[in-house]
Amino acid sequence: MPRFDEWNLVDEEEEEELQEAWYEGKRDVILFAIDCSESMFEMHDDPNYEDTKTCHVLTALEAAMQIQKKKVIVGPNDAVGIMMFNTTRKNEAGGQGADIKQNNFVFQPIETVNAPKIQELIQLLDSAREDPNLLKETFPSSDKHVPMGDVFTSCNWIMRDGAPKTATKRIFLITDEDDPNSGPGRERLLTSARTTLIDLTQAGIMVEPFFISTEERPFDQTKFYSSVLLPNNLNGDTGDPSVLPESISITRIDDLLAQMRFHEVPKRALFSIPFELANGFVIGVKGYGLVTEQKKGTYRYFMDLEDRMEVAESRTLYVDEDKETEVPKSKIVYGMALGETVDAKVADIESSTGVLTRRVPIHCKVFYTAEEIRSFRTLGLQPKIKLLGFKSRRSLGFEDNIKHSIFIYPDEMSYSGSKRTFSALLKTMIKKKRIGLVLTLTRRNSSPIFCALLPQAEKAEESGWSEPAGFHLIPLPFADDIRAAPIETGYRASDDLKDIAHKWIHKMSVKNGSYPPDSYPNPALAYHNAQLEASAFRDEFDPDSFEDHTLPKLTTITKRAGPLLKEWRQTLMKEEAANVVVLPSDGKKRKAEESVDEKNLRQLYKNGELHKLRVDQLKTFCKSNALSISGKKADLIDRVGEYLDTHSAEHGITC
Amino acid sequence: MTERAGYTVTMFLIDVSPSMGTLREVEVPDGLTGEVRTIETTNLEWSLQFVKLKIQEMIYNGRKTDQCGVILFGSEETNNIINDKDGGYEHVSEYIPIGQPNANTLAKLSALQASEEHGDPIDAIIVGIETQERYLANKKKWTRKMILLTDGESPIEIEDWEATTRKMNNLNVSLTIVGVDFDDDEIDFHDEKKSDIKRANEEFYHKFVEQLDVGIVGNCEFALEEVARPDVKQVKSALLGTELRIGDTKDHPLESIIIRAKTSKCTALMRPKSWKKFAARPRPVSEDVEMTEEGEYVEYTPLIMRTQFYLDHRAEGEEEEAAAPQEESETEDEEEAAAKTDKLQVIEKEELVRGYKYGSSFVPTAEEFPRLRTEKGIDICGFFHQRNFRREWPMGEVQYVWADPEKPLDQAALSSIVQAMYEKGYMAIARWVSRDNMDPKMGVLSPTVFDGVDCFLWAQMPFADDVRKYTFASLDKLINKKGELITKHPYLPTEQQLDAMEKLVDAMDLMDAGEKDEQGNRNPWFDTRLSYNPAIHRTKHAQFHAAVVKDLDTHPLPPPHPELTKYFEPPRRVRKRARHAIEECKNVFKVKEVPKRVSKLRKDGHVRALEDEEEPLLLEKLQRRQSQLKSTQSQARFRATISPKSQRRTQKKYINSDDSATEPESETETEDEDYILLDKEVGGPSKITDEEGKEKEPSPLLTPTSKRSISLELEPDLGREPGRIIGLAYPLTDFKKNIVGGDLVSKAVEDLAWVIKSVVQKPFTWKRSEEMLGCMKELRKVALQEDEIDAWNEFLRDLRKTCLEDEPGNKQFWSDATALGRGISLISKSEASKEGGRSNISDATAAEFIRSP
Repeated sequence: MPRFDEWNLVDEEEEEELQEAWYEGKRDVILFAIDCSESMFEMHDDPNYEDTKTCHVLTALEAAMQIQKKKVIVGPNDAVGIMMFNTTRKNEAGGQGADIKQNNFVFQPIETVNAPKIQELIQLLDSAREDPNLLKETFPSSDKHVPMGDVFTSCNWIMRDGAPKTATKRIFLITDEDDPNSGPGRERLLTSARTTLIDLTQAGIMVEPFFISTEERPFDQTKFYSSVLLPNNLNGDTGDPSVLPESISITRIDDLLAQMRFHEVPKRALFSIPFELANGFVIGVKGYGLVTEQKKGTYRYFMDLEDRMEVAESRTLYVDEDKETEVPKSKIVYGMALGETVDAKVADIESSTGVLTRRVPIHCKVFYTAEEIRSFRTLGLQPKIKLLGFKSRRSLGFEDNIKHSIFIYPDEMSYSGSKRTFSALLKTMIKKKRIGLVLTLTRRNSSPIFCALLPQAEKAEESGWSEPAGFHLIPLPFADDIRAAPIETGYRASDDLKDIAHKWIHKMSVKNGSYPPDSYPNPALAYHNAQLEASAFRDEFDPDSFEDHTLPKLTTITKRAGPLLKEWRQTLMKEEAANVVVLPSDGKKRKAEESVDEKNLRQLYKNGELHKLRVDQLKTFCKSNALSISGKKADLIDRVGEYLDTHSAEHGITC
Repeated sequence: MTERAGYTVTMFLIDVSPSMGTLREVEVPDGLTGEVRTIETTNLEWSLQFVKLKIQEMIYNGRKTDQCGVILFGSEETNNIINDKDGGYEHVSEYIPIGQPNANTLAKLSALQASEEHGDPIDAIIVGIETQERYLANKKKWTRKMILLTDGESPIEIEDWEATTRKMNNLNVSLTIVGVDFDDDEIDFHDEKKSDIKRANEEFYHKFVEQLDVGIVGNCEFALEEVARPDVKQVKSALLGTELRIGDTKDHPLESIIIRAKTSKCTALMRPKSWKKFAARPRPVSEDVEMTEEGEYVEYTPLIMRTQFYLDHRAEGEEEEAAAPQEESETEDEEEAAAKTDKLQVIEKEELVRGYKYGSSFVPTAEEFPRLRTEKGIDICGFFHQRNFRREWPMGEVQYVWADPEKPLDQAALSSIVQAMYEKGYMAIARWVSRDNMDPKMGVLSPTVFDGVDCFLWAQMPFADDVRKYTFASLDKLINKKGELITKHPYLPTEQQLDAMEKLVDAMDLMDAGEKDEQGNRNPWFDTRLSYNPAIHRTKHAQFHAAVVKDLDTHPLPPPHPELTKYFEPPRRVRKRARHAIEECKNVFKVKEVPKRVSKLRKDGHVRALEDEEEPLLLEKLQRRQSQLKSTQSQARFRATISPKSQRRTQKKYINSDDSATEPESETETEDEDYILLDKEVGGPSKITDEEGKEKEPSPLLTPTSKRSISLELEPDLGREPGRIIGLAYPLTDFKKNIVGGDLVSKAVEDLAWVIKSVVQKPFTWKRSEEMLGCMKELRKVALQEDEIDAWNEFLRDLRKTCLEDEPGNKQFWSDATALGRGISLISKSEASKEGGRSNISDATAAEFIRSP
């Protein structure tokens, strides 16, 4: 058995981060419920494509397709379905939606996201752009609005049939009708809508409405939905019923997708633990990972079962190598490595295969149990955040960082009064420009860390997204994590040089700008996913069409700062440091070597005479230019040549 | 100067003379249960711990160049290189030859016993020097260390010892003498009753090491304490070459620049060293039964990890259920596990195809997809003002970016950028590729100006894909159904509440809560550079401990070193200062724990039907939890010895029979309640309620609010004043209970002091003199252990004043107290330092203070 694979194995007892995977492992199910009444098919100009028309249904389906594509990447086990309502199209017998209420149609039953389904949608959307009437014909509108109660009931049934029990289940409701059940019997319909919605909530299904509002048809939620929708149904918080739900999205149709993006990943708490402000003064908080590295899908093993492919799961066994027997987890005990065998004479307990074992008198305990091991990690603490005190905002340095932060938000469900206390603490800390210092144990299996508690005020942005109020828990490095600065002295710039640097830095800066994560999609991830999508759709992948948005905008930089950079370079050459020659300091082992300067090297290269140099000379050049020094002489010559090609004589600093 | 790691030979010279076999009593505190037991052990076994811990350190680091050898003196046999050649040097023997130590080295040391012979330590030192010298013949640069372990009870031939020290200095050998019960000023240990020979020997050893360039004599107990102290080795990270690019270096070389740069880590996440997994080998059945002279043995073998691939044939539901419980499957039955395995089909890796998943679709590819082509280096994309920097975004470890230390011009160039940015308060957005074709990272460069050099600090920032935009309800803007803004609501803090919080934040300020500097100004409390990762050091401690003791049941792991937990509680100064603010906050915010919902556990689906019962059920549960609390406390100390299963059973039984347990809750327990309720290990109380709640008639129970009022009513019985946790009636009992609880030590100390003072001031309290003196003894003991030393000293001064100077006073009580002597006086510097505390009282002052007036 090849050992190589096993290097990367993570030992679950040791790895605290692994617990997060459990949350990732929980599946998310989204059912799109799209209104098909007349108004949803009204054609208007497409804001993205010139001379094309679009309608709300088309945009909604487009959004559903985009969400599915995204799901493939962020949650490949998640399932999606699409239901249309207010349409006369009939369900096929025997399918998932066979017996749902009238005028509701299951377009795509709930299924784990997959390539054929997405392609089906893409094809429909393409044809619909060609033929404006296609959608209207595919999903003919009904004469009357379906009672919303029926819509919710249908959703409930579809979810019941298609979604696994433990998944998070959500319905994205898309409609532009703010008063669907007007007319006679309104009160009765409203009540039934409300009760069916309660049923949904109790089945663990949440409704996230996306209401489309246009200038001609502004959406007034007080007409109908205010009295139907449950408060805070998004979080499962049973909040105060007199307060409205927090995130009904009323949106312009163009922003529909952007709005859905905020809801694309279901909000899942990493932990729910007590926050102890002082002894006997405890509130409840939940923690969320707002910045977490999104990784590529893993390269996996599959089994070909003729009719289908199935993922082969892997698990770790613990084996007594000599006896070739598997040891059950409950029998495992923990101790220190026994060290290397120095001397065969001493190692009277070494076995034939060279495995060192430890002999212990029968009633003596020299190993620890898993439970004990855990207590060494937690120091006997229970999960909680414990406040130690407050410090000035300035005392948190740039370098005091070791891991990503976690956002905490009060949890009224575990301690009543959490919100007001949390809110008061937040306001006071912002006012006094303080940060908190806390001791944190987030899970039973992790180890205690110190964190800075950074308050964040609530801030609404134009895009409709608002920065939530809460604290960021910023893990602080321990003494063990801090490395000393290996360089203590260096040449410094003259004021002249610094002043010119001021100028071009100014030209290259963004006014009131900040680091903009939204402008930087992960290029490596996007490149990988583009290939994955092409393979899944059996398309050809064209690497040249790929655009990396993280590359610096060179044209702009040259245009704005080029002349100043040139001036700065000229000044640099006049620096005192230009006249200094540094002798290699670590010349203990090195023989008397003449290092070749770049100028000579270029000359040699031009004449095709690099091979005249000795290996150590080539290596010295490679080293000083951060090139690899591995390989044979020919490799080194190639590498130096390549470097000289890509780095023209002028751009570097020659000295 | 920092030592080179490794490249060291340490010689351990161990005294095994008869006196080393003397028995001594050693306290073995159990870090898990808090229990302290006393065991008998020989001086040899006890002091060998030090040697073993040192050797374990070498095993732990696993360096081939970190070696040691062991030489005994006072051994029965004689076996050393000098004797072999020239004779003499009797009863000195080379026990373990120089080499890299392993578990067997420790096992051999454990087998050592005191002999019947005396050996000369100087002989041993000379043999040690020779053995080391011969081994290191042509390795001149290695560090030579020598550690001598002795009780100083055997005669020493002190003739011509200066020659030995000269030789050691010539060879740069350092010597550490670890003495059993040696006098030591560091820990204020002085044994007045020791033998004359020991006294003389100790004097000699001090004289000996004074002649050495590097030498020290120390007390063994102190040395053992010191080896448990967490220790961080300064690590300097390696410099990696890269380049810093600005502008279009390809097409506009003159209007752009490449600075040759080096990067190194500024922070790097360290984890506890991993544990090796072992399992006991089943013992051979008949023929091969290994019966050695020492008795029966169990053989433990290290396990290796192996990956197995399988297809999962379980139904979807089963799989979900299996994945759902957060707890590790430790508790699950073996049979159950076996049944599960039946549905898994194991497959050989060779039969498998590789690929990716696209949702549920399968995308086979023989190789991983090609990576994005990238070019090594750091590209600056732009600049922004640091006030707009989002401190919560950095994703991980921080790196330094330096100009190449051998390139002056590159240094000047980088320096000019750093300084200009620093002056403008700017940061740079940069794209980082660590090697050609590695995935790029985005991040920010922060200009950093050190005393002698300018550099950048780099932190990785999130990509668009890494940021989760979850929506959260506003904490401020609550809107009612009519669309109006609500200004008064239980979610919104009132003016009064904000006011109380402001006091709390002020009182708990840490900026002036640390140690005083030379000018007498207080520093901030907490410094990352002094905060040790408790998990790393505790794990290491446990690993070392297990490697050096013969049985963890008789030698349990001691509690963690105080250095590890020094930041676990706010500093005392802050706790004291914040006491009133905290009380006020508790009163105005009125936070209550919400009982866990029961409905979640019901699987029968009759959610509605049970709703009527819900209310009483919840109340009952609360009651049960309170009674459970007692059981938890009383059981706490046994917990370590019973298996999780039996523990749960006992607890359950307790609850069943506990209906009548409506004893008054003391206020402390109420305060502890939150903590106990968090204790998930106390096997699901809510479940128990759920099962039994239906059968029982809900009895009239206390509501959460009335509970407090009842406990208040009962308070006068205990003689407890409002806000005090120690009552006048049974102060000592109350106090001890609180100390065991451990949460409110400062408060308990303060309150007991208050009780004593109150009692002695009242008329007719002479009846309670004896009791109060008992309280004082206990109070002093706790104050000393729990670092409440200042509190004690302050109390005692105050008490003397109350008794002697105030009216009516109680002169009799003070003279009773002074009769107890020095042991009840102020806590002095030397006493305090033994317990790791601090005091500014000299021994003389303490003695003087308690003399009768």
